Amino acid sequence: MSALLRVQDLKKYFPVGKDLLGRPTQVVQAVDGVSFSVEKGRTLGIVGESGCGKSTTARLLMHLIEPDEGRISIRGKEFGRIGGRHPVAELRRQMQMVFQDSYASLNPRLTIEDSIAFGPQIHGVSEREARQQARDLLDKVGLNPNIFIRRYPHELSGGQRQRVNIARALAIKPEIVILDEAVSALDKSVQAQVLNLLADLKKEFGLTYLFISHDLNVVQYISDDVMVMYLGQVVESGPVEQLYQNPSHPYTRALLSSVPSQTPHQRKQHKVLEGDPPNPIAPPSGCRFHPRCELARPICAARQPDNVRVSGAHQAACFALPDSSGYSEYIQLQEVCA
Amino acid sequence: MSAEKLVEVRNLNVTFKAEEGPVYAVSDVSFDLAAGETLALLGESGCGKSVTMKSLMRLHPAHKTRIEGQVKIDGVDLLAMRPAALSALRGKTVSMVFQEPMLAFDPVFTIGDQIAESVRRHEGCSYAEGRKRALEMLERVRIPSAAKRLDAYPHEMSGGMRQRAMIALALACKPKILLADEPTTALDATVQIQVLLLLKELQRELGMSMIFVTHDVGVAIEVADRTAVMYAGRIIEEGPVDQVLSQPWHPYTQGLLAATVHPGMNRSEALPAIPGSPPQLTRQIQECAFAPRCRYRSDACLEPMPAAYQADNRAVRCIHALTAEAV
Repeated sequence: MSALLRVQDLKKYFPVGKDLLGRPTQVVQAVDGVSFSVEKGRTLGIVGESGCGKSTTARLLMHLIEPDEGRISIRGKEFGRIGGRHPVAELRRQMQMVFQDSYASLNPRLTIEDSIAFGPQIHGVSEREARQQARDLLDKVGLNPNIFIRRYPHELSGGQRQRVNIARALAIKPEIVILDEAVSALDKSVQAQVLNLLADLKKEFGLTYLFISHDLNVVQYISDDVMVMYLGQVVESGPVEQLYQNPSHPYTRALLSSVPSQTPHQRKQHKVLEGDPPNPIAPPSGCRFHPRCELARPICAARQPDNVRVSGAHQAACFALPDSSGYSEYIQLQEVCA
Repeated sequence: MSAEKLVEVRNLNVTFKAEEGPVYAVSDVSFDLAAGETLALLGESGCGKSVTMKSLMRLHPAHKTRIEGQVKIDGVDLLAMRPAALSALRGKTVSMVFQEPMLAFDPVFTIGDQIAESVRRHEGCSYAEGRKRALEMLERVRIPSAAKRLDAYPHEMSGGMRQRAMIALALACKPKILLADEPTTALDATVQIQVLLLLKELQRELGMSMIFVTHDVGVAIEVADRTAVMYAGRIIEEGPVDQVLSQPWHPYTQGLLAATVHPGMNRSEALPAIPGSPPQLTRQIQECAFAPRCRYRSDACLEPMPAAYQADNRAVRCIHALTAEAV
């Protein structure tokens, strides 16, 4: 099956600080060469710690931030603001987004109905039709339209507001929905309701999800494929079972073993990583993880590792993987010299 | 748990006076904390866990809050304390670590000065001695190049470093009780586990007791000896953490654990969510506040709630707890 969404070599560097002439003195390499593809009907989970570029990637996909480089295509059609590419408005009709902060993403002066019906009208649906659709959608996300349609965002609870945001994202019938920490701010009992809702909607409308989260348990539950990011780059990706059972990048291993235990008899005894993720303004040379990595060797600081196939579609970018170039040869060389 | 009781809370009620009327944030909360013990207050937002915690240092604005009941800290009646005694207690006997260290530190003073000030205030030593203690504490919480960090301002540190500095500040005067209000919630996964392990280690070294507020079952499991689960301002279940969280008695605790996504779940099955949402606390709820969402609900649940059922060092406030346990 060919990919529904394909992203190639996405890049965004943010300038930080200015010198006397207004030239940027430093750049944050927020997203640095991210490529992936998603097949129709699947859910791609994107995980990583704060500052790893997962949210920036989402915003770049939607063109809420203009990418510096890279190609974004849906069904082989390339979108963007550069000449020759299809317009961004069309991209946004096919891809919508739900944000973490349910309150900040709704206009406080619009009723729920107006918020949901706004998008379709921009895209040429008549007002009457858009309003009818808003009622149907509210019903679909589990809110009684007769009760909620005239309400304002502040009259709703966090879970209800997030349902409204989901309804609004679906209002223009997108194929792809980006969920950027969409359930992270919700309490666990409400989070479970919204996760169930997302699964139902996916089935009903044949949606494809990009699920961005720092919660590794939730990502494991909802995703088909997972992509792990570290300092603006993808370090490992693959089908969820393979990646969680056989994490191959040292960072993925550390990340997965940092999750607090769910059973009292398996408390963590040792920390897995020292220190904080480094500053993306001056990322480490070579493999960006090498200063925190227990397997690091000189080659890790000197060169950037390529993606290596672990098995099937499971890939990781690490020199320490068996069939990777450089690392094992280097180790052998060291042994010979010693 | 017949050890020395450091904290004794009896029938604590906290009511906030709001424009729209009173908010009954905490109702009839009682618990003890023994020396060297860690208690996790577990619950979702608005359940009163942070309010309970802040009451233990009387941090709520007096003119807007009514606190009733009895709180004894190290044998002293907290609610009867005068301001001077209270300010001697804060940071010395009881100390607190907050969720967002950026808001807890003063942005215009260096980390070293803020720690030194606390030491001088409580131990009456010189500034130089205070700085020395500050350095010692920063090393203890394993901040790299601690001597340099003494002169750093809070904004110059990363989130994890700031939280370590916050812990150094809270522990500078060797308090007997540390109150930690979601100290790792804002941190990344790999940093969170570092801070949790650090707190446990410092607790052993200093022999202090801890109360840990969290909404994360996993965090409670990692740090606590005992846990008290809160819902709508009440403690609804309490006991040793391994028992409560592996065999919960209260339907809410059961629901919460079932709804929490954990590894090894069947991905093709829907999550067992708890329907509805927690109640507003603008009314004094006498009956079981969870009843509207509870699958064991019966007419008896709408009667005023009876006292806790206690057995095996555990307590639960549910008339169906025993039958629910069997289900």
